[in-house]
Order: sequence, then structure tokens, then C-alpha cells
Amino acid sequence: MASVIGLLFRRLLISFIVLIGVSMLIFAIARVIPGDPARIALGPNAKAEQIEQLRAEMHLDESLPVQYAQFLSDLSRGDLGTSLYTNRPVTTDIVQFLPATLELVFLAGLIMVLVGLPLGILAARYQGRWPDHLVRILALLTVSAPGFVWAVILMLLFAFYLPLFPIAGRIADIHEVQRITGFLIIDTLLAGNVAAFGSAIHHIILPAVALSLSGIGQAARLTRANMVETYKKPYIEMAHAYGFFPNRIARSYAFKPSLIPSLTIIGLDFAAMLGNAFLVEAVFAWPGLSRYGVAVILRKDLNAIMGTVLIIALTFLIVNIIVDLLIAFLNPRIRYSTREAS
Amino acid sequence: MSSVLNINNLTLSFKTLMQRVDVLHGIDLRIEAGEKVALVGESGSGKSVTARIILGLLQETRSAVVHGSVLFDGKDINTLTRKERAALRGTAMSMIFQDPSSSLNPVFTIGHQFTEVLKRREAKISQADCKKRCLKALIEVAIPEPARVLSSYPFQLSGGMNQRVMIAMALANQPSLLLADEPGTALDVSVQAQTLKLMHKMVTNHNTAVLFISHNLGVVREFADRVYVIYRGNIVEDGPTAALFANPTHPYTRALMAAVPRITGTGLPQVPEFSDEFLAPRVSHGVNP
Repeated sequence: MASVIGLLFRRLLISFIVLIGVSMLIFAIARVIPGDPARIALGPNAKAEQIEQLRAEMHLDESLPVQYAQFLSDLSRGDLGTSLYTNRPVTTDIVQFLPATLELVFLAGLIMVLVGLPLGILAARYQGRWPDHLVRILALLTVSAPGFVWAVILMLLFAFYLPLFPIAGRIADIHEVQRITGFLIIDTLLAGNVAAFGSAIHHIILPAVALSLSGIGQAARLTRANMVETYKKPYIEMAHAYGFFPNRIARSYAFKPSLIPSLTIIGLDFAAMLGNAFLVEAVFAWPGLSRYGVAVILRKDLNAIMGTVLIIALTFLIVNIIVDLLIAFLNPRIRYSTREAS
Repeated sequence: MSSVLNINNLTLSFKTLMQRVDVLHGIDLRIEAGEKVALVGESGSGKSVTARIILGLLQETRSAVVHGSVLFDGKDINTLTRKERAALRGTAMSMIFQDPSSSLNPVFTIGHQFTEVLKRREAKISQADCKKRCLKALIEVAIPEPARVLSSYPFQLSGGMNQRVMIAMALANQPSLLLADEPGTALDVSVQAQTLKLMHKMVTNHNTAVLFISHNLGVVREFADRVYVIYRGNIVEDGPTAALFANPTHPYTRALMAAVPRITGTGLPQVPEFSDEFLAPRVSHGVNP
């Protein structure tokens, strides 16, 4: 246990350094690209004095290091500044829009793992036979197109031609749900409103599946490839020699050692969904962070850009830490070597 | 007859899209209860595939064509169903592999793997019973601190330790036949000798028949009661160990024995890749028991 806490501590430290680096980079890039944020915010008819005044308010007239120091001291107080686009504190905006995106990404990640891994196991178990071929063709198909293409295709097929699912939005308008966590699936459950819960699930299925499809293919391919390697190991032959059932060998003896190398990539795929979610959200008019993010980038809304990027970087890092801990938990070699090292 | 294993005219070939490769050309081999029999030959002579046919593993590969009879306790492995063959493995017969450390699953503890093996014989064995039997089996193979070993992973133990665990596991379900495919070749020589001695003692105590597959004549001479020499898928010579070593008759056996490096330092002897002499007919020493 002590080793896992040590590992966690090291990862947190590294993550903190990465976050500082990301913030510096984005801070500089956002200010270097052409276009004066104050002028864009105030519009073409603004007077020169007004623009000067806003620039002074935003500290844009000072040097970059001074501006960054100002940003850090605000950040330490939990203040990300005010968005010029919504005229509200950026933290308020993020708290409002982030849960919808996270809800979508978590569900897509869950679908990816729950469908992708079993498909990979199935393919490896029946290597070279028809289930294997089928899974490989499906996997190739799903990874060949990005999430937003699948979003359009699924929307056409299952919301337009065959209207099984709603075409856009998070929930039917008739439902009034009190906001507690911002995750509609959880909020409707907390409110005990079964109809609203059903509607939220109904709305999220298509976008979540569209977002998860390429991840499913990736996870299946990776699991299959690693398991095929594992199947060549002497301990698998030994398991056969001891008469264990082939399905059991696949699920337990071959899958567990293969999961460890797959997990890192699956974790990265999961985090990458956060980026892909932007496009899927756009297709399904999903009121998440993406619409906000795109809008603020186009308006050069500096504070909002910083806030959005930082929160995405933070989510990425948290997912990576969770994956590292999972690997340490699954792989006795890591678990014990870290203990010896610390 | 009380033969544990009786192989008659066993042939094996692998068919690919274009061709058929014959690997075994009609093998006859017999092992009596409690007898230690060695199968000796060079790499690629067909030793290991023979073991895999006895286990019934090769019959499940689609490219393998197996003919002949492999009677195990009177039942022909070749005509059993897949399920019946699987039922024999790990219970009535078991196997020890070359490299003990990579033959144990790296992500499960020794205790977990041992329990799985015990459950092959007795599916509903209780946790406490299991633990007791594991500990007893490990003590039998002279493992110090058996409780610690049970909660260890294979990578935390030495190769010799893992080999002892493998021997204990292989004999835990009281099989009537143990297949040992070049056991401990991956270990260093002194540890290999130690574990072979232990294995010899164990199978003698348990009265387990052994098919010992090896290319190492010195080891075979120590271990086996009877020897079969295999060359390119044919048995070329067989007989009781003492008789065969005293009077190797078949040209291939003689070449194989001449190939053992001498300590007197006459350089490395050579076995020709192929020689017409090696195709001489089979020689059997003495009467088969």
C-alpha cells in the first residue's frame, strides 16, 4: 500500500509541473496570435480610449511575464478571470458546461472498455477463425473514421431515417431537473425522476456510441494483438497442458497479463475522447464545453481559453494517474519494485 | 496389460496449403506403471510433438494429422472427444516444461496457480483444505518457508524454486503419467541436477510413470529405467538404460554418444547432419518388459 501512495505522490508532483508548463505555453500562444482581444470584444465601432481602457483592465499593456504572474496569483485564489464572451466568471462557465462533456466522455469510455476488451478477447480466443476475422474487420472499419463522421452517420441512420433516438440535445424540454452535480444522469436519479432519467439516457446513447466507436476498434485491436503474443508464452501452453477450459484460459490466464500493456494506450484513447468530444458535441448540439471552447477561441477570449485548456489538461492528467495506479494494481512486478525502490 | 501408455504406429504430419510435412513415421513406445522412460534425440527429431500428442493438445490443431493409437490407461487418446481429452490433462497426466520461471503465469501468485491445479481434480475443494495440501506438497519438494512461497509471484522466486513448485504442482493430483519435456534445461547445471534428483525421488515415491524427453545423454543415464532413441521421427534404438549404454548398436545412437564432449579435451566431436547409416533398421535391446 505504501508503494502505491508513493507512486501517487510522484505522479501528482509530475502532473503539477506539466500543468504549469501547459499554462505557460497556452498563455504565450494565446497572446502571440494576431488580433487584439480588446478590439474584438468591443466591436468595430469602439473608440480608441475605450479599447485602451479595456486593455489596461486586462493588464494587456504590461509585459508577458508580469501578465503571467498576475494570472498565477489570480489562479491561486481560484479566479480564472471574466469571460468577455459570456461576461461571467470563467469558473462559472466551466462549472456549467464541463459536466455535460464529462458525462458524454465517461459513458463513451465505459462503452469502449465494456465492448472493446471483450471483442479483443473473443478475437484472440478464436485466432484465425471467423470470430477473429469479423472482429478485425469491424475494428478496422471503426478506427478508419473519426468520431464526428460516425456521429453524422449514426444520426442519419438512427435519428433521421429510423427515428429511434432524438436528434439533438441532452434531455427532452418537458423535464425540469434541479441542477445538483450537473451530470443529468445523476441529477435525474437523485431527484427520483424516472421519466427524466430515461430521457437523459435516450439522448446520450447516440453521441456516446459515436464518440466511442473508434476507441472500441482501437481497444479490440490492441487487446487482440497483446493476447496473441501472450498465447505464445509457455505459461499458456502449461495452462492447456493442465486441462483448463479454453474460455477460462482466454478470460483469465491470457487476458490479465495482456491487459497491462493495453491499458496505457486505452487510457490515452480515453483522454483523447475529450478532444474528439468537441466535434461530436457540435454534431449533436450537445451543450457541453465544446461550443463554449470554440466560441471563446474564435473571439480570442483570453481568460476563457486559458480556463478551458487548463481544465482539459487537468482531466487528461487525472485520467493518466488513474491508469498508472490501475497498472500498478494489476502488475505485481511494478507493485513490488516500487516498494523496493521507496 | 498394465501399461500406462502404449503407443502403436503413431504418425504425425502437418499439412499446409501447399504441402504435407511428415514428422513422425510410425512410433511404437510403451510405458509401464511407475516406469521411468526416456525419449532421446536431437532438436527437431519429434520428441516434443510426441509429448503433445500424448497430452492430446496437437490433435486440436487443425494443421496436424495424427494417425495410430495412443492408449492411455486403455483409452485411445486419438479417438476421445476434445472434452474427454481435456478431462485427463492435469488429473491423470501432467507435464513439466523446460523453463519453470516462464511456465508459471507472471500475474498470479503461486498459491493461486496451485489452487487452480488442485481444483482440476476436486472442483469443490475448500479453501482451508487447499492451503493445507499446497503447503504439504511444497514441504515435500523441500521448499523452505512454504507459506511465503505460496503468496509470492513467480518472478520473486529463483529458477530452482520455481522448478520445485512445478514438480509439486505436476504431482499434486497423483497423475499416473508425468511428461517431462527437457525439464530444467533453462536452469544452470547444478540446480538442474538437484531438481532432477528431487523429481526422481518424488516420482519413485508416488509410483508415477514418467516420459522423460531430453537430448542430454548424461541426464538420461541417471534418470531413466529404459531409453528410446528417436531420429527424424523414427525410433531407432530402445532398451533398458544399462544395456543400451553398454552396447549402443544403432549408428545414430553411437554418433549421439560420441558427441558428448569429453573432459580430456579432444575438441568438440561432430555428429553429421545426415548419414545413410542413420537409416539403419531399429535395434531393440533385451526383452521389452
